[in-house]
Amino acid sequence: MRRGLWDREMVALLLLLAMMPMTLAWLWFGGVEALGRLILTLLVSGLWHMIFMLARAQPPSFAGALTGVAVAMLAPQDLSLLQLLLGISFGSVMGELVFGGWGRNVLNPATVTLAFLGFSFSAAPWPDLVPPVAWAALPALAMGVIFGVMSARLILGALAVLGGALIADASLSTIFPAAGIVLALLVSDPVASASTRLGGWLNGALFGALVVLFATGWQGAAPMHVAVSAALLASLAAPLLDETAIALWTARRRKRHG
Amino acid sequence: MFGSRLSAGLNLPQSGLPPAQADPPVCLTDEAALVPEHGEELRVQLLVEENARVAQGQPLMRLRRAPGIALVAPMAGRVARIDLAPGRRLKQLVLFHDPEGDRHRFDIPHSQGSSDALRALLQESGLWRAFRSRPFGRMPRPEENPSAIFVMAVDSRPGAARPDLAVIGREDDLERGLAALTRFVDAPVYFVEARALHYHGAIPTGVTRLQSSPRHPQGLAGFQIHRQCPARIGAPVWDIAVEDVADLGRVLASGYLHPTRVVALSGTALREPRLVRCQPGADLRGLTQPYVRPGPHDVLAGSFLDGRPAHWLGPRDRQVAVLDRAPSPRARHWFRAALERAAHKAPIIPTAALEQSLGGSALPAAALVRALAAGDAETFTRLGGLSLVEEDLALADYATGARPRLANQLRALLDRIAQEEDAA
Repeated sequence: MRRGLWDREMVALLLLLAMMPMTLAWLWFGGVEALGRLILTLLVSGLWHMIFMLARAQPPSFAGALTGVAVAMLAPQDLSLLQLLLGISFGSVMGELVFGGWGRNVLNPATVTLAFLGFSFSAAPWPDLVPPVAWAALPALAMGVIFGVMSARLILGALAVLGGALIADASLSTIFPAAGIVLALLVSDPVASASTRLGGWLNGALFGALVVLFATGWQGAAPMHVAVSAALLASLAAPLLDETAIALWTARRRKRHG
Repeated sequence: MFGSRLSAGLNLPQSGLPPAQADPPVCLTDEAALVPEHGEELRVQLLVEENARVAQGQPLMRLRRAPGIALVAPMAGRVARIDLAPGRRLKQLVLFHDPEGDRHRFDIPHSQGSSDALRALLQESGLWRAFRSRPFGRMPRPEENPSAIFVMAVDSRPGAARPDLAVIGREDDLERGLAALTRFVDAPVYFVEARALHYHGAIPTGVTRLQSSPRHPQGLAGFQIHRQCPARIGAPVWDIAVEDVADLGRVLASGYLHPTRVVALSGTALREPRLVRCQPGADLRGLTQPYVRPGPHDVLAGSFLDGRPAHWLGPRDRQVAVLDRAPSPRARHWFRAALERAAHKAPIIPTAALEQSLGGSALPAAALVRALAAGDAETFTRLGGLSLVEEDLALADYATGARPRLANQLRALLDRIAQEEDAA
């Protein structure tokens, strides 16, 4: 009879709220140019949501704004307008909207956009966000966990692996800011990450491990490129990790209950 | 986030229990009815006619498929009206109360150890309907044998009465009833109580005590069964309220059915939460009328999470929620209304709220919700969904505002699995 609050749009709004520390810090340091970029990505993302609403009766979602924010902050610099349009259109449509909207997608549309841009226009330089933005990722993650819209296990798993690697090899500290920002903006998306408890730990650990692997083995890659690529692969592996966790869980139950 | 596996759950608004009244007043309504459970189909053979005088506990009808199972009069009175749907399916049988009426006495089996005699008594006295068999959450079939019986002395639903209040002063009856259950079938009998409210009466040997966290949904039979002894096709698990077990003990001792049950009245439209003793099948308007604040309101049988609008107290209901009627929604924009009708409903995002409302680590919540939405019976069974019934998902429905409701999706899937099993 009565309804609680935790429907899809509330989760999207809380995620947006959790992103605010990072977004505001980024806008503060990026100035008018950053604002223009943000408005452009929000407009394009919103436009595609409108098109799918009119063509497929798919209700638009605030999650489109999440995509816009993440793409505006992380996309390679010096892209022409057309390139940026192409990238975000591809990511929104093929990463999210054709599956039926946010909640039914497999990958985070922003991850798809950024990977697409990175592979297609590999000459464009990746952004190097200022340290305050990277620090702002910490309150963002904390807010996400407190609201219950991000998985604490995933974040702790990623931080544990990254921290361990940092202790082993101090030269990895250059990768940390980018990894933290990508963790908050892309990896901890509740839809595109693992949903089981064990899966969450594994998903976070996998992201951390991939970042470390790429940072040590991938010569000449920008930190942001490394983090985005790790996010894409970790996100792709999430359903597999969930399946593994569920298989282990059912095996344990079968042993216990026959 | 570090909630231990037994304390997972949600703190709910409105979970203030009715103040523990040591002795709730008896409050029999003028009318009462025999009704089927929601979605239950009872094809019956009537034993009485309209206007007949009946005694409390007297069998009024028998099931056509299983003539051993009787439905008995909840109170002494006169049969006011009998409504049957085509195919002699029971809709309702309404009784008028007669304070001077008789009580029906059942023949108590001489050899109390015999399982068949006890089964016959349970079916004849109508107590058979107090059992719920999972998978599928229906009344057990007449010759069904459970692989475990859960006696629920805990109810974590918001506003529910403490079930142990209902058996205060009836410790002997409860002990006798529990002992009868252990002799009834060669299966474990679990006695589930709240951890904080330890039951101090005697529990016969052979009954396993379990402690449950008071946070919803841990005090529901579904999650206890899921943990201890999952229900499977071919291995059904029964659950029964502790008060009904005490009623069984009463019948075994005296031959008379206990005339009342403890019912909690709660909700926003009540002046204060109340506990009352009323007959099964009581008239809910009559029951709540003295305590309701003026103004439009809805009366639900069950808690505000899983209740449904009803006129009569259902066979297994021990709680009534009276809620202020929500103001009718304002006229919405035509485009929004059209979009809502045409669109697929928004999916549920896996969050901490969803996980906690399905008992934390009890089961992979997101995977179960996905299997329900996809109608994937195989995955659903693998994840332990056969131990669940609608009330177990009511909290997740409330928390996530899911449309269509998860409980309805669960019922549709369970019905489909049952149909396939019957065909096989």
